[in-house]
Parts: sequence; structure tokens; C-alpha cells
Amino acid sequence: MESLPHIINGFSIALQPINLWYTFVGVFLGTIIGILPGIGPSATIALLIPITFGMDATPALIMMAGVFYGAKYGGSTTSILIRTPGEASSVMTSIDGYEMARKGRAGAALAVAAIGSFIAGTIGVIGLTVFALPLTAMALKFGPAEYFMLMLFAMTAVASLSGKSPAKGMLSTILGLMLATIGIDLQSGQPRYTMGIPEFQDGVGFIVVIVGLFALAEVFRGMEGLFQGTAPEQIRISGKLWLTREEWRRAVAPIWRGSLIGFVIGVLPGAGGTIASIMSYTTEKRLSKNPDEFGKGAIEGVAGPESANNSDTAGAMVPLLTLGIPGGGATAVMLGAFIMYGIQPGPLLFQNRPDLVWGLIDSMYIGNVMLLILNLPLIGLFVRLLYIPSGILYPLIVAISVIGIYAGNGSMLDLYVLLFFGVVGYVFDKVDIPVAPLVLSLVLGGMMEQSFRQAMTISGGSTAIFVGSGITVTLLVMSVISIALPFVLPRLKALARSEDAN
Amino acid sequence: MIADRVILVFILVLAAVYFYATAQVPSLEIGDPLGPKAFPRLLGIALLVTGAMLFGEIVRGRRDKAGPAEKAAPGEHGHLPMIAAVVAFTAVYLAVFEWLGYVLATAPYLLGLTAYFHRGKWVPNILISVLFSVLSYLLFTKVLDVSLARGMLPF
Repeated sequence: MESLPHIINGFSIALQPINLWYTFVGVFLGTIIGILPGIGPSATIALLIPITFGMDATPALIMMAGVFYGAKYGGSTTSILIRTPGEASSVMTSIDGYEMARKGRAGAALAVAAIGSFIAGTIGVIGLTVFALPLTAMALKFGPAEYFMLMLFAMTAVASLSGKSPAKGMLSTILGLMLATIGIDLQSGQPRYTMGIPEFQDGVGFIVVIVGLFALAEVFRGMEGLFQGTAPEQIRISGKLWLTREEWRRAVAPIWRGSLIGFVIGVLPGAGGTIASIMSYTTEKRLSKNPDEFGKGAIEGVAGPESANNSDTAGAMVPLLTLGIPGGGATAVMLGAFIMYGIQPGPLLFQNRPDLVWGLIDSMYIGNVMLLILNLPLIGLFVRLLYIPSGILYPLIVAISVIGIYAGNGSMLDLYVLLFFGVVGYVFDKVDIPVAPLVLSLVLGGMMEQSFRQAMTISGGSTAIFVGSGITVTLLVMSVISIALPFVLPRLKALARSEDAN
Repeated sequence: MIADRVILVFILVLAAVYFYATAQVPSLEIGDPLGPKAFPRLLGIALLVTGAMLFGEIVRGRRDKAGPAEKAAPGEHGHLPMIAAVVAFTAVYLAVFEWLGYVLATAPYLLGLTAYFHRGKWVPNILISVLFSVLSYLLFTKVLDVSLARGMLPF
């Protein structure tokens, strides 16, 4: 185990009082925003970037990671008690979780969600710990062409998996890349697409775009819900916050399977927590002896998806930290945070700043323990957040977004861009254009163009370099498959069905 | 769907604008074989490909459900004027933000929104609007040392 000394050293960083404190602040914030509607981990991390500016990088990134995985814990609470997932990835939990709550087993549902999340979160971090160094060894062989193809693969996977229509996912990706080209071109020094506005020479701030797309747009959607008067009924916590022996016996296997599914899905680009939890749910339903019980309060339907959705976050940290390439919206924001601190994640970071990387990884073990405590004995306190009327909450989220963005640069233009992207996010949602691909490609766009140009310089202008190595060819094939999948899959299914019928 | 056709038109217009703007970028092409225009051109082409993909989806979608027309629920768009009003109200808030200052702009903004979305509960609405504006201002300017717009306030 060559990583062992690093792991031990990482704990000496993560256990420093300041880092423990920011781990706590991160997971605490994560739990809160997981419970509250209207603001999710992506927007929160983006808002924390300007506010934490001037802080040390290690505690700041530890805190942002805490928000990212902490939100998954909080998301399950609202799914179970009001059938309204605080986060999209908790949708599957709301099916059987809410039914359990209606049958008076809310305590058991919350307990299994918290315990499953804890086990899965910890398994996920173990996976991250184990796979980190071997993957960085591989990533060190990557040149600009390999990096370009890797980003292409991440983008095509996110584009084709994150919405109903692959064309709209692609559209979102390309809009993000185009936004990324606004500003001064780093190699030639030429300003591009600034529309004559001097402030755009530095580019469109990705923080502003993210907060607009994720927080403001969400507030507009929520206000629409208030307007239409669709307020869900809240179930009070009933029963002890623990499992009966029978429930425990039924939950163990789904937790393990969910952890595994979640981690693998998390490492792969594109899919993310929502798909991981859906896969876990269908797996459990298929394996169950009484599949009819699913949808009527089966504990397996809470344990599996909730675990999958938590180990997914640790899995998603794997490509971010080892390759420097995020596989989805929230990790793209994390990458943005790293870059704002002048830190480029990737294989070299493991060599240059092992204290930061391993301190961050080890803080996730500690954060998961904190989350277990916050979400079991203290869940009663957090549930009170649900009593905050949305009519007050949504206006406050707008004000918080305005503070966060204005605090960054003191720029009025940023605030108007914020409002613009709030409207864009709202409209995109109405016409089924996913926003995650845009965020990913906006953050990666600059790097992608640089690696494209570097590769072309190396090859003397020949595009053959993009099929010049085994790695690039493999990534190209995977990109093509991920674009083709949404077209081919329904046909294959139809074919299989017609053969079944015969 | 109508929306998809609008998106298709938007894609074509955007591609045209983007190609035009790319042509306007001055480039010297010294020591940089590709220059600042090559990657954007690729993006423009990719955008057109996306348009073709979307066109394919629209055609396929129409063929698949040639039978029953999509039902449009009546009153489905009743919320649109409300959202437009919120956006306009927010734009006004931003327009006076630096002139009035954070506290004096934010408190009435919050009060206006809560008065509509949390109707009839004047006491908590006023309390929250004022307290949030003042406390968040003090937190950021005095504790976190991040400056917010002071505007007309003397401190």
C-alpha cells in the first residue's frame, strides 16, 4: 500500500482544529441546503467561492466538499417527510420513504437513510482512497490530445445522459463552450465576443452563471409552485429513530449493493446521483421476493437508492481529483473552486500538494461521521427548517445570491448577468434543456480549447494526433457510444420486447 | 412541439451570429498555427450539427405521435405574468441597488416579495425583511470584511 503514509499524513491535516471546524461547517451547510428547496449544492458551493476568498485553500475546499456530500444526506429528509426531494437525486427515496412515513415508520425510514448514507459514503471514500494513486499514475501519461478527448468524452456523456433529448443536451454543452470563449484569448491576447463591454474581457464569471442557473431559476420555479398552490403535506416524525431487527436484516444487502452501484456510476462521467439511485431502486425491485411491496413502503427502496446516491459523491471526486476532469455539474463547480484558489486538480496535485489532496480525502471520512450524528440524533432540529414558509425562503435565496455575487467583484454587471441566467435557467427547464452540460462545458471550455491548440501545435497542425494513441482512440469510441446510446438503446429495447413477445 | 421549433430557429440564428462574430476577431496567426478563431469555428459547426440532430428529433417525434394531438391544459401559462413581474421587480431592485445601497434596496425588495408570496402576515414579513437586510449587511461588512454597496447609508 503505497498510499498508506499519505492517508496517515492526510489525517494529521484533516484533524487540525481549523479543518475539523470547516468540515463541520461544510456538512452542516450541506444538510441545511439539502433540506431546503430552492438552493442546492452547486449554487451553494459557487456562492461560497467569493465569500471564502482569502481563506486558506485546504479548509475552504474541505468545506465545499462537505457541502457537496452533506447535501445528499439532507435531501433524503424532505423526500421522506414531505415527499418533495430537496435534491433531484433523492427522487427515488421519496417513493417508498414517504409511504413508510405514512405508515408510521418515518423514524425507521430516516434512520435507514442516514445509516445507509453513512455506510455508502464511507465505502465511497475508501474507494476514492484506493483508486486515487493508480489512476494518477495513468493520468501522468496524458498529453494535451488525451486531455482533449477526455473532456470530449465527459461532455458527450453528460449531454446525452442528463436530459430527455440528446440534441438539447448537446445544445446546452455547446452554449457552455461558446460562453467560455468570451473574453481575451489567452494565447493571442485578442478579445473575443466581448460585445464591446470591457468587463467581459475577463470572461463571463462561471460563479454568476451557476448561481443564476441553479439558485435563481430554482426560486422562479418554486414561486410558480406557490402561485399554483401545490404545497405538500408534512408528516411528523413518528416511531423511534431506529430499525427493528427485521428491517435491519432487509436493509443490509441493499445498502451494500447501492454503495457499489453508486460508486461505479459516480466515477463514470455523465450519470450522477440521480441515475445511480434509479439503478439501485430497479435492482432492488428486481431482486426482491415481493416486488409488489415497492412503492408501498419497502425499506429496501429507501436503503438502496439512498446509499447509491451517497457513494456516488465520493465516486465523482475520483475523476475530479485524479484527472482534473469533473464528470458532472456539481463537481464542475468544485473544479471552478479549485481553479479560483490557483490549484489545478489532477495527477500533479498528488505530487505537489499531497497535504491538500489527502487532507481533503480524509476529511470526507470525518465528515461522514459528523453527518451521521447530525442526521440521526439531531434530525429533529433540522426538520424544523421545513416550517420556514417557502414564501419567505425564496425571496431570501434571491437576496443571498445577490450578496454572494456582489461580494465577489462589486460589479453591477455581474448582478444583471445573474438575473439573465436566472431567466435562462427557468426557460431551459420549461423547454427541457438540461443545464448541467452547460455548467460543465463552461468550466472546462477554456482548458479544452488550450489542450486542443497545444495538441495541434505538437502535431504541426494535423488532426491525426487525436487518434494517435490507444487512449485517445478509446476515449473517441466511448464519446461516440455515449452520443449514439440514446438513439440505439430504445431500438434495442423494442427489439428485445418484440422477441419476448414471439 | 412549438418550443422545439423555436429552439431550432434560435440555433440557426445563434450559429449565424457566432460565425459572424468569429470572423470579426482580429488574428495575426504568428507562432500560433490555429489562432483564436479555429476552436470557435469548430463550435459553430458543432452547433449546426446539433440543429440537425434536433430537426431529426422533431421529425421523428411528429411521426411517432401522428395520432392524438398534444393536449394543452387550459390556464397552463397563467403563472407567466407573475414570473415576468418578479423578474421585472428584481431588475428594478438591481437598478437602484448601488444608488440606495444594499440595506435600503434589499429590505423593500424582500418586503415586496414576501407581501405577495407570504400573504397577509405583515408582522413577520416586515421583521424578516428588515432584520435580514441589516444583519446580513453587518455580517458581511463588519465580520467577514466583504464590502457591500453602502449607498445612502452613512456607515
